[in-house]
Amino acid sequence: MEDANEAQASSAGGTLPLLAAADLQDHLMTASNDLDRLQTLLSDACDTLMQRFHGASEHIRTLRSQPHTMEDDEAVFNDVMQNLGGAVTALQFQDMASQLINHTHKRLRSCVDRLAREAFADDEDGMAAAEEVPLRPNPVTQAEMDVGSIELF
Amino acid sequence: MQSILAVDDSASMRQMVSFTLKSAGYNVVEAVDGQDAYEKSNGRDFDLVLTDQNMPRMDGISLTKKLRDNPKFKTTPILILTTESSDQMKQAGRSAGATGWLVKPFDPAKLIEVIKKVVK
Repeated sequence: MEDANEAQASSAGGTLPLLAAADLQDHLMTASNDLDRLQTLLSDACDTLMQRFHGASEHIRTLRSQPHTMEDDEAVFNDVMQNLGGAVTALQFQDMASQLINHTHKRLRSCVDRLAREAFADDEDGMAAAEEVPLRPNPVTQAEMDVGSIELF
Repeated sequence: MQSILAVDDSASMRQMVSFTLKSAGYNVVEAVDGQDAYEKSNGRDFDLVLTDQNMPRMDGISLTKKLRDNPKFKTTPILILTTESSDQMKQAGRSAGATGWLVKPFDPAKLIEVIKKVVK
């Protein structure tokens, strides 16, 4: 006699155990949330880059259009470097975004394989490849491009 | 000039780290993962190792353990710069012998400040 959790749910191509369906739903929801986070990270990084770009340009334009002293040069240099520093922080989005995409790709691929195993038994290439769902959580937990913490041991 | 071994599998991160360190006057040697870094550490002295955690072939914590096994790197500061921020991972880094744990994204000025603090 089957366990209640292993009860069969009807689907178009066959049957899918409820436990597997619930598991797949969890994975798809996590993937969806991770994609939302990716969207936020990208727009946050883009906004910061634009601000820093305009900030640096504005300081340089001011320096060129007005008479200035050595002290002014030093102040503008510091302002430009500060803007470049902010741009360096925002430019790190590529590393974080690619880790998020990679992790989400693995999760979705494992859902496809699980569906092939559970609902269809075989896929067109024979037995579905059994890729394990990543057991560890997504390494990227950030939702914004804020500077990370520093801890010295 | 002080030398830093910068390890990251992401080309864009290596560029950002190198730009920051070189702007502050450091000599930078880049490595694409822990294995590459371990090979580049052979026969060379570095004043600091700045490494990512999640990388193919060898991760940052494994690299830290291997370097600490080498008497030459017993006291060299090793900073792990990663997206990972869990206490469990930080503890693993600490146990491996890392000097500090920095969560990405980094701020260039703060990174240089930390490096100056740990490099003798």
